[in-house]
Parts: sequence; C-alpha cells; structure tokens
Amino acid sequence: MKTLRSERFRPVEADLFNSETENHAQAKSTLLDYGSPSFHSIPLKPLPQPTTITAIDVSNIRLGETDTGLLTAIRAAVVWRQKRQYKYLRLGPFPFHITEQNKQEVYDIFRQHYLPTSPKCLVAPSLPNMQNRIGNLLERWLQMSMSAGSRDNIILWDGSLTAGTPDNPTRALLQLLEITRNRLNTVLAFTKSTTLRLWNRRLTDLTTRTPPPRLIQINRYPLHQSTPICFLGNIYIAKLTNGSCSFRLDIDKNIPSAQRVAAVQKLLGNDLLFQGYPETLRLAHIYSTFTANEVLGIQRFIAQTYGLRVVTRLNLRRLLFGPYGKGPEA
Amino acid sequence: MQLYRKEGNTIQILSFPAEEIQKGEYVLIKDSNHDRSLVTQIIDVQFAAIPGILEELLRNSTTDEHICGENLDLLEVAPHVTYVQDARMLICKIRGTIQNGILSTNTGWLPSRASSSITKLSTASLLAQARIGNDLPIDLGETRETSSVTIDAQMLDGKLNIVTGKKETGKSHMSKLLALSLVDYGAPVVVLDLNGEYAKLGFSSDGQKNEYHRRVRVLTPGDNFKITLKQMKLRVMMNILFHALHLPGASAQEFRRIWRFLKDHDTLTMRELGEVIRNRRCNLHVRDALCSRYYSLLDSGFFTDNHEEETSLKKAFCSIHGGGALIINLQDISSINRQIVVEFMLGELVELLTQSKLKAVFLFAEEAHLYLRETYWNDIVTRMRHFGIFTTFVTNQPNTIRENIYRQADNIFLFNFTNEHDLEAVSRASKVDAETVKSIARELLPHHCLVLGKVVGDFPIVVKVRALDVQTMGQTRLFFTDEN
Repeated sequence: MKTLRSERFRPVEADLFNSETENHAQAKSTLLDYGSPSFHSIPLKPLPQPTTITAIDVSNIRLGETDTGLLTAIRAAVVWRQKRQYKYLRLGPFPFHITEQNKQEVYDIFRQHYLPTSPKCLVAPSLPNMQNRIGNLLERWLQMSMSAGSRDNIILWDGSLTAGTPDNPTRALLQLLEITRNRLNTVLAFTKSTTLRLWNRRLTDLTTRTPPPRLIQINRYPLHQSTPICFLGNIYIAKLTNGSCSFRLDIDKNIPSAQRVAAVQKLLGNDLLFQGYPETLRLAHIYSTFTANEVLGIQRFIAQTYGLRVVTRLNLRRLLFGPYGKGPEA
Repeated sequence: MQLYRKEGNTIQILSFPAEEIQKGEYVLIKDSNHDRSLVTQIIDVQFAAIPGILEELLRNSTTDEHICGENLDLLEVAPHVTYVQDARMLICKIRGTIQNGILSTNTGWLPSRASSSITKLSTASLLAQARIGNDLPIDLGETRETSSVTIDAQMLDGKLNIVTGKKETGKSHMSKLLALSLVDYGAPVVVLDLNGEYAKLGFSSDGQKNEYHRRVRVLTPGDNFKITLKQMKLRVMMNILFHALHLPGASAQEFRRIWRFLKDHDTLTMRELGEVIRNRRCNLHVRDALCSRYYSLLDSGFFTDNHEEETSLKKAFCSIHGGGALIINLQDISSINRQIVVEFMLGELVELLTQSKLKAVFLFAEEAHLYLRETYWNDIVTRMRHFGIFTTFVTNQPNTIRENIYRQADNIFLFNFTNEHDLEAVSRASKVDAETVKSIARELLPHHCLVLGKVVGDFPIVVKVRALDVQTMGQTRLFFTDEN
C-alpha cells in the first residue's frame, strides 16, 4: 500500500460469494472419466476422545482498480474447538495495492514464509491472478504454522490435497504434510464443491444408500500420464450426517488407514456438524469472509488513509451498447 | 451529509456518525449552482441500508460463552467498517426555499445531488428568516441548540389553537404560558378550568403574590360566581334548558311564556319563577318537567336573587382591563352544573362582544368535551370567531376533538403521544403532513412541544417549553408521597 498516493480509485462490484481460493484450473485438468476405480464404504462411529479441532480459512476480495494496479484485501481466520468451546483468531483485513512493479516483491514475501526452501526466482503470476495466489500462500503459511505449533490435533483445511499446480507445488505440500504428521496431527481437507467426476457424475453425487456417518473411499484413480498433478491424499466421499450434503474429503496418504478413519471419528466425536460439514470449518469460513459492509469500510479506509479519490468505473459495454450492454463489465 | 434521493416532498440524506443530528432539526441543502437552498426538516433518523449488514451483525453477535476470539486488525480498518455500519439515513420533509436571503414556501425544484452542500440550519436562524416573533414576542422556551424560541402574540389573535398531548407532558403548563403571555400584552383571557389548575396563577411557586396577582380573577360558580335571572337573556336560559337540562319542546314553550310574564311584571327572580311554575295551570307533565328543571337550576347554586351576590361579567372584565384572566373554576361541580355555567359564559361573552362591550377574548377550554355540547364545537370555530372569541382547546384525548376542528386549527402545540390512535387523530391537522406528526410527536420528551402552524410560519419546530414561576396546581395528587 505504500506505493499508493493521490491516485484515482475505481471501486469494483465485489463478488462476495465467489472468492474462494480453490484453483479451478487444477480441477479441469483432472477429469477422471475412464479406468476402473473401486469403492470401499466405511461406517463411522463418533470417537469421544478429547481432541482439539482446528480449522483454517482465508478469503480475498477485489476492492477496486487504480491507474496502475489492483486493490485487494485478504483476511484469515483460525478457529479451534476445545473443551466444547470455540475460539477464533482473525487476522486482517490486509489491503494490498498490487501493480506490475510490486507484484514480484509481494509474491516473494508471501512465498518466503510458506516455502522457505523453494527456488528464489519463481515468477509472480499475472496481475489478475495475484489476488488468489497471495490468499492461497497466506492460507498455506497459516496451515504450516498450525501444523508446526500444535500436537495431536485434527486440522481442517478448506480445499483438497491436490498438488502439482502453480499454487501448490508438490514438494512444498509434501513438506507441509510431513510436518503435520511429525507433530501427530492429522489433516482433513474438505472440498465443498469438487469438479472431480467419475462416469460423468460429480464425485460427491456417488453416495450409496448406506446410512451416515460413513466414508466412501475411492481407490485407484487413473490420471493422465502427462499431468503434473498428483493427489497427496486418499480421496473419500464424506457423508457425515443425514441430508443431501456430502463432501470430498482428502486425508494424507502417508498415514495408516486406521488412523485416517480414526481422525474422522474423532472429528465426529468432538465437533458439531451442520449439514455434514464441520462447524469449526464453517466458522473459519464465516469469520474470514468479507461482507459488503466490510468492503465499503475497507474502501473508505484506503480512500482516507492514502488520499484516493473514488471515481465511478467506466462500463464500456454500457457505453457502447446502451441498454443492450449486458453481461460483465468490459 | 450527502443528498441521496427525493420522493414526493421527502428527501433522504445520508449522514455519518460524526454528524450530530436529531429528529425535528432543520438542514439546509445549498445548491451553489443556482444560489438557492432547500429548507428541510428531519422527521426520522434511520440506519442506512448498508449491504451485507445482516451478515455482519449475525457474525458479530456470537458473543455467547461458547464462542470467543480475537481480531488482529493491525491496520485498524475496523473503525472504518463500524463507521459505514453506523451510517444513517435522514428522512426529511421539504419545508421551503431560501433564495436571495428570502424564505419562501416554493418547493418545486430539485437541488443538485453532486454539488449541493448540506448543513444544519439552526432554529434561531430559521425563525429569523421566517420573520417570526418580532412585534409581540412570546418566549416559549428554547430549542435543542438552546437558542430561544419566540412566537408573535399576534399569531394567536383571531386564531383557533389546540394544545394536546398525553398526560403529564406539559399541556396545561403551555396553556398557562400562553394565557399569561397574552395577559402581558393586555389581552382579556377566559379559562374554563376543569381541574382548578389555574386558580393560583397569581402566586409564584414559593407562594408569594406575583405580578399577575391583581390581573387574575378566579370565579367559582356557586361561591363567588352567582347570577340573577335578570342578568340573563331568555335565549341563554333556553340554551341551558335545552342542552344542559334537556327540556322537551312543549315544556320549553311554556317556560318561555312564564319567563315573559315574569319579565313583563319585573319579577324575574328564582323565587317567583318557582312560584309561578308550581301554581301554573298547564299540562301536568309539562309542569312536572318545568319543576324538575327549576330545582336543578336552584340546586346548582349558580343562581341567586340577592343582587349583592350577583356577579357581573361586564364588571369582571372591567376589573381586568389592560390585560387579565378570568378563571372559571369548574372543579368539584357536577357535569350538569358545568354545562349550565359554560352555556351561560359563552352566551354572555357573545352578548358582550356583539354589544362591543368587549373587543375580543381569548378562551382557554380544558377538556372541553366534558362540558361543551356537540353543536358548540362548530359554533366556536366558525361563528364565535367572528364575534371575537378566540379559542384554545387543551386536551389529552385528541379524538374528542372533531376532525373539522383540527382542519381549521391555525396553531397546534403538540406534546408527546405514543398511542397510534391519538397520533392518527392529531395527524388530521392540515398544518402539517401526517408523517411529521407521527414521527416527531412519538419521541418528544416531557415539556418538549412540537409547534405547528402560523405562530411558527408553518415551519414545525420542537421547543423545550420554559418554566413558569407560578404555582402549578395541575400536578396529580399522590397517595405515596413523603409528607415531610
């Protein structure tokens, strides 16, 4: 933000409900429509052994544009469930002014915290992708901190254990999972809306008639040989309560199968579930998400602190086509 | 403050928490492009419809013992979010325009949304612009900005006024203030005092005689206020018999004959009247009817044959020449006797005024529905106004005053009401829109009054009514009070 002085600022209409950090590109490259995978249904029983449940989520939002770049904000939330009580820590919001000039610097700062051992010269993504990328890096950094700073916890991630994308280098994610294992923690990565498909059906639609709580393990995923993508976790369909909601659940491959199932059972025994989704993770999402009111507040903060003049964004479609100028702004 | 939208004569202004603003205050929307300003009054203050506010509040409401946490807001963005969250929408009514320093009621233009500047307009400045209270100023009290509010006594002259509000909000106090202020300017005032509240207007709060002591005369019917039949016109007596005592038509005819007979023989006294009725050869039912009315008149104690006891209203008005108040104490007398006294009073006033023995009189009627007959309401606001009776109705039951009275009221002094039905009744007044009445009156503090009408140049103003150094008798007598 330090580069931001006396510029004009065009607020954009914030899309508050589509700011998830899941990388859609990764899912598109992993359409699984061939092969012969197998299913294994695992009934679950809540395990009331006292265990701390931790969840991490990060949200980012685009606030507007300046003449030289983008204004964005990120916020993280960590929620614990411990002794029947939820505790949370919200970090942020942190507004950023990202320009072509500073994007590498911003990217490197985030990358260094999460991937200290990664190569020094990783090129920053394009300007429009920076918002998601720094959000993702902050999320991984917090996941790393929680994994390293806790012991014998169930750590809930929002997303999958898919690696090999620019967002999620395999080496870094492996390293993160190893740290987690060494501290006797278990990562349960929940994906609300997966694009993985089998036999032309969404993975989460492939539930059996057996009653919940239940995991359906999917074995032997065929992948394109050429793809750099790999799954670092075993993939399950988690149907944890009655109702229509089931989720893709990734659990670290390198922990024994029994421990994987036990981790989910501990989750059932220690956390509330709303529509089959852990309350801790739901709260993390709620606490990190930006409301429209907050977006206005942050825009005001930026305008006041950095002397920005708010100007209305020119809608080229509307300008060119008048009432026929529908669709997204050009 | 920023201009947001206009709909009809309502303007919405966006206001932020730092701007201290309240209902009833005026704001000026100055359009620098056209060098004119729109005068608007805030009738409601609402929260601005901020998007996402519900989510924000729901999220922040998790303060129960099961959820606790910490916000690490290093850049201190939260105050800005709160600032937006607390943004308010001022609902304002357009009241007029100031152009070239002249205030007019022209409201048919729209200021620029982009280049208008919005500032508070003090009530003092508004009143100065409206040129109110210049000639015969009556100090009503002060505004919220503690500037004094004065009205012009001339704006009460020839006008119909209503003082209304719920119990213990200061109605009687206001009517006393108005009455004494009129007395200050030499006006004759008659108060129909239902509860004996005005009896001690001539004494200051410490019990000492005050400046009004010689100008306030309390007349208690049956005590120091008695009349002889000779003083009374037949028309007035017939009104009493018809309206207060409900004498049937046939009996009234007989009574007229008796009255004329007694008058012709110069024996118009209560005693003779009784004798004649008793010995009258007429239909038995008529005689019984006349007898019962006669005894009602006799029992009222208001009539006397002793000329030393009689009260001459003409003399009473002479005694307050140069300004004074006649307080007709209607406390502790029966409903029928009240009506007898009021019928007499109004008849006599009309008589004095038509004979030009009295220039005009300001009549203050407390809870008039308890003693004023139905037909008098219209009479008072239409016919009697032309004679010179200028009435101020004081009531805590606004629905007892007819809608047409509200419509013709020139000034309304409105105190707090919370009941919807009461507000609905008052909102029929033509001096202001219903929304203003309902919104502002509902939240008026005790002794705060919304003044509507000509006295304030049709700019509704909220006034904290000033204290009076007179003995207030209107206070409710309590059982659980400290005797010491």
